[in-house]
Amino acid sequence: MIEIFAQLGDGFIACLHPTTMLMLLLGIVVGLLVGVLPGLTLVMGVVLFLPFTYKMQVTDAIVLLSAMYVSGTYGGAFTSILFRIPGEPIHVPLLWDGYAMARNGQPARALGWTLVAALVGGLLSAVAMVMLTKSVASFALRFSSPEYFAILVFGLTSVIALGSGSLANAVIGLALGLLIASVGTDPIYGAARFTFDMPIFADGIEFLVVMVGAYGVGEVLSRLERGFSSKPLATISSTKTELPSLAEVGQVKAMLLRSTVVGHIIGIIPGAGATVAAFVAYGLESQFGRRRAQMGSGVVEGIVAPQSAATASVGGALIPLLALGIPGSGATAVILGAFMLHGIQPGPQIMMTSSAMVYTIFASIFIGIAMMCVLGYFAIRPLVKILDFPEAIVSAFVMLFCFVGALAIRSNVTDLWLMIGFGALGYLFERYKFPIAPLVLGVILGPLAEESFMNSMISFSNDWTVFFTRPIAGTVMALAILTLSLPIIGLIRNRRKPSGPPSAPQLSSVGGAERVLTPEA
Amino acid sequence: MGARLTQALPYVILLTVAAWLWSIANGVEYDARPDALGPAFWPKAALVLIGAMSVFQIARTLMSSSDDEAVGIAAGLEEEEDDAPRRPLLLALGVGLTIIYALTLDTLGFPVATAAFLIAFMYVGGARNHVAIWASSLIGVAVTALLLMRVVYVSLPRGVAPFSGVSDFITSF
Repeated sequence: MIEIFAQLGDGFIACLHPTTMLMLLLGIVVGLLVGVLPGLTLVMGVVLFLPFTYKMQVTDAIVLLSAMYVSGTYGGAFTSILFRIPGEPIHVPLLWDGYAMARNGQPARALGWTLVAALVGGLLSAVAMVMLTKSVASFALRFSSPEYFAILVFGLTSVIALGSGSLANAVIGLALGLLIASVGTDPIYGAARFTFDMPIFADGIEFLVVMVGAYGVGEVLSRLERGFSSKPLATISSTKTELPSLAEVGQVKAMLLRSTVVGHIIGIIPGAGATVAAFVAYGLESQFGRRRAQMGSGVVEGIVAPQSAATASVGGALIPLLALGIPGSGATAVILGAFMLHGIQPGPQIMMTSSAMVYTIFASIFIGIAMMCVLGYFAIRPLVKILDFPEAIVSAFVMLFCFVGALAIRSNVTDLWLMIGFGALGYLFERYKFPIAPLVLGVILGPLAEESFMNSMISFSNDWTVFFTRPIAGTVMALAILTLSLPIIGLIRNRRKPSGPPSAPQLSSVGGAERVLTPEA
Repeated sequence: MGARLTQALPYVILLTVAAWLWSIANGVEYDARPDALGPAFWPKAALVLIGAMSVFQIARTLMSSSDDEAVGIAAGLEEEEDDAPRRPLLLALGVGLTIIYALTLDTLGFPVATAAFLIAFMYVGGARNHVAIWASSLIGVAVTALLLMRVVYVSLPRGVAPFSGVSDFITSF
């Protein structure tokens, strides 16, 4: 324990380096802006900034992207509460109680509660992240290739089960991702797969091309087809934050803690990001909370529960990323990509080989959350002012970032063509309601999954049962099967129920809510 | 029935592409080792998943008794998400501009091609504030090009003369 505190202290000192602090500040500001803008999702924002991290030190790169991730869970709260515009799906629950409180003449108070929820939820989750990551990594050192394969299968099935849209479409998206990842020279046999005699394919398809194309170009094309229909705001209304007193916070401390724990645990589960955390926390309060009957009418619980859970999910999502090398959400998948671009594979070894970097990242999360709340308190007016920017201009710059992302990888225009192709695929995915997250995770985790699978087959003489007979691998595989069967069971149960008109914040079925609101953050 | 066929069409295309890729995977050349899975095993497993799910979706779409079940939750959600009408012409213009950008990038160079793309894209997207469009495009491209070509040394297409002069001018700072 003392060793952890000592290393965390070193991490705080390392964070004070001017470049690291600059990256942290930049990440917080950009994350808040991305959260505010409805056309720009949190994952897309992190993806678009990834190419700019190529030449950075790996620690600065991860600090920048993690800061964007943290503050992206908070920025959209302003516009949800003040203008009823959720910048992110995460902040849809704030439309009910946050906006209602604002309409009751207390917008500053609603913003104050949001700030406290983000601060407390984020910091408590960060503490848990520091305490748990090393233990999880130490446990993961016992793993060999069957256990890794089982963990990867669990991660991928969770993404499928908890993603948006239909289960079959999610499986297709994942399989496409695995297929794209298999293009190029096979690592075991050196055989060329799907290269079509094109030299650039021999090196494989860069996952960044897929991510930038599918998330960035695909989304912009989808919104262009709708004529960039979101309207700029005519006026920025009264925008200030009124913090609650300590006594008021004390009255909701149990609920705040409960929502933070829920958010943190959901963050750990691969595939369930901040959006699911926000909805589950709100759902729990509306079902079991002390003031469940008043939920939706502008009560504090309806603001604090989703916001604290959303920010707390960040600390949770970073644990499997760092300790196991498995992203817990769309944004952490991109952060995993940033690690890989710098030649670092997160996993159990990272705590031993790069512990200084890991603890600097941990420290940056603490500082970032505090900085985010300070900025949110003092700079709320200029932040929401960005909504005045015409969407056509913002989207044109998103395209610019996409082009840069593609061109910067190998300085090859073929990558630009590939990115445009994946942009078209991303558009078709949006159009036909295929979730993009499984596709991207398939591309990122595909090579790792294939390697651990093939190594297992070589080591255990093609014995398939090894994934089920070894205690850890078998347990994880059972969890994967359970995760995958949950939506199917839910579907069967829903079909048996008599159909009735759905109510607005229908959160008794968490699965239903998350499937409507594309949880990819 | 027509709507159902339209709904099933993406899965029919997926199934066809999966079958074609399977035939390509069969032709992967490698030095076979006894009792070892070949390099085509993994992509073939992905193709089996795609094929199986596509068949399932086609069957569900064509054979389901109720239309709601046939089209899945997707169609039901679509109306809720965005009530603005789809404008295929705008989409075609956006895609066209992107393709023209990729075609002309090597000739015009990054700064000129990108500035032209941004200006055109903003007008296509409906922006009409000329000062904002031109100023943000030119300044945005200049700053990005300077940052990438001069500060972090990313190798971006410089273009051919006379357009390369713009790249040279930016990198001369």
